[in-house]
Amino acid sequence: MSPGDDLPAASAAELLDEAPCGFLTTALDGTILQVNRTFAEWCGLDRDELLGKRRFQDLLASGGRIYYETHFAPLLLMQGEVREIALEVVRADGSELPALVNSVLTDGRPGRPRVIRTMVFDASDRRRYEQELLRSQKREREIARRLQQSLLAGELPAAPGLELAASYRPAIGETEVGGDWYDAFRLDERRIGLVVGDVVGRGIEAAATMGQLRSASRALASTGLRPGPLLEALDGYVRQHGVGRMATVAVAEIDLETGELRFACAGHPPPVAAIGESAPSLLWDGRSAPLDAYSSGGPPRPEAGHELGPQGLVLLYTDGLVERRTDRIDEGLERLLANVGAHLHEPISSLTAGLLRTLDERDGHDDVCVLAATISPPTRR
Amino acid sequence: MSTLSRNNVVEHGARDGQPILFAHGFGCDQNMWRYVWPRFEDEYRVVLFDHVGAGGSELRAYDAGRYSALEGYAEDVLEICRELDLRDVVFVGHSVSAMIGVLAAATEPERFAELVLIGPSARYIDDGDYVGGFSGPDIESLLDSMDSNYLGWSSQMAPVIMGNEDRPALAEELTNSFCRTDPEIARQFARVTFTSDNRSDLARVRTPSLVLQCSEDAIAPDPAVRFVSDQLSESSHVVLAAVGHCPNLSAPEETADAIERYLKG
Repeated sequence: MSPGDDLPAASAAELLDEAPCGFLTTALDGTILQVNRTFAEWCGLDRDELLGKRRFQDLLASGGRIYYETHFAPLLLMQGEVREIALEVVRADGSELPALVNSVLTDGRPGRPRVIRTMVFDASDRRRYEQELLRSQKREREIARRLQQSLLAGELPAAPGLELAASYRPAIGETEVGGDWYDAFRLDERRIGLVVGDVVGRGIEAAATMGQLRSASRALASTGLRPGPLLEALDGYVRQHGVGRMATVAVAEIDLETGELRFACAGHPPPVAAIGESAPSLLWDGRSAPLDAYSSGGPPRPEAGHELGPQGLVLLYTDGLVERRTDRIDEGLERLLANVGAHLHEPISSLTAGLLRTLDERDGHDDVCVLAATISPPTRR
Repeated sequence: MSTLSRNNVVEHGARDGQPILFAHGFGCDQNMWRYVWPRFEDEYRVVLFDHVGAGGSELRAYDAGRYSALEGYAEDVLEICRELDLRDVVFVGHSVSAMIGVLAAATEPERFAELVLIGPSARYIDDGDYVGGFSGPDIESLLDSMDSNYLGWSSQMAPVIMGNEDRPALAEELTNSFCRTDPEIARQFARVTFTSDNRSDLARVRTPSLVLQCSEDAIAPDPAVRFVSDQLSESSHVVLAAVGHCPNLSAPEETADAIERYLKG
């Protein structure tokens, strides 16, 4: 005789009734045909009020009812079972019981209609736990966002003959902030420095790394380093402090007296320049690898120079502006040139804002920043 | 990317027959039609597809701008028709796809011979005297339900579920493997579906239509379905014994019978 054999036969029914989960049998339309005591008690209803009178989906919160009709029932009919579906059961007093639901569809044996067997678990604590997790994720995203915003705050420098504009759009919706940044500062009486960069990763860590690289570039620029050597010094900073490896950066300086542009790009998308009266073009020179890409230190960082003519424009940006889910990157760059060309005669602030507006919501998975500068010829000043 | 792979278009039946195009509703994919379409394969050219974001469609093609209104989905239907050069089309649309068919037929009436609208509703949210059956908070509550149910979808799984038709063993491993959608897209589709108002589009349709109404349909309640029939210029209205919102699954025989009777009649 095995353990349990001495329990009275009625105990199977007792097991169903007293089990710490809800048991139901429903017709295909959801009408309740059998229900155990646990579930009836959870609902706060007598069994008589349920049997033949209610459908299972009638006991769900409104969203769950739609979900039942559009997902739960079709899945059950197609694959014969559904598992671990989260639904809210509405009790007689209007309060809601978070539940996890499993259902199976029985085989239609001759003379016996197919029915749905359903098991309902009280998932109150689990749901609270999930909500805690979601809340803390949200909190962390919010902190990262605020950190990034505070790091990017600050006025753009002003100088006679110079116009600067920056536009920044954080990733849309639930996506964590990335580590994009822009910066502009006076180098000396006649030169202005521009930096746009993008660190690898997302969230608080990326925002903090961005803050470090941004401060480091600013500090290094103030020592008089030109764009190429500045990137090399930034490599050293990254290596020494172990932050920001493989970040991409574009560094530029403009001489407001001569209109000379010097720049260097570490793995960063090419700047756009409109030189003189010509159509905007991509500056493919002055390029090298992302920061600290070579563990033993890379070759010297090249830089390039161009003359920005009257009303010359230079535009630095991060990859979110040209990368789309559905297109190739070169198509994105072509589109950028066309868009810059179309906005070229507008004030520079509506140029940068206009470029962000060309982005679709579908490309909202990444941060984007755009920094543009135009200079007026000295004679006009 | 071609329209046919974008929408995972699958064809069955008589190549030279009249085309019958089945469009699934919110919440699932073309599997919804698995018990219905075989009835038509002897005589018709059966065309099935998934809306972008559902089933075996290409998720890369999802464009929040294009699909922010049902017109984007209707444009997909028209593109499929053009790509396959379908004419004289019988369009069978379930749930929200009924309105997608209405929009497609209003735009290019010359393509469509008949519309079959199963459980249609031109607006789900109540509006004055109009009964859609839902309130704004109901729809928010649905979005919450969807957020807590990823139906076995996970970012690791996503690449695997694209087009695994030829590997049935894989499908068996996945719980809730039909109706699997990217949660973000499903959420958008839910919002577009339940906040659309196509009441004024019904009068633009000249295509003869069959409206199939289920008994006790919680998604498309009686007044909403009647409204669709009343506003269409040429419509037949049939009430099925089938209960619920998915007669194509719960009562495929009755559903196919009703469609067949209408098309033969």
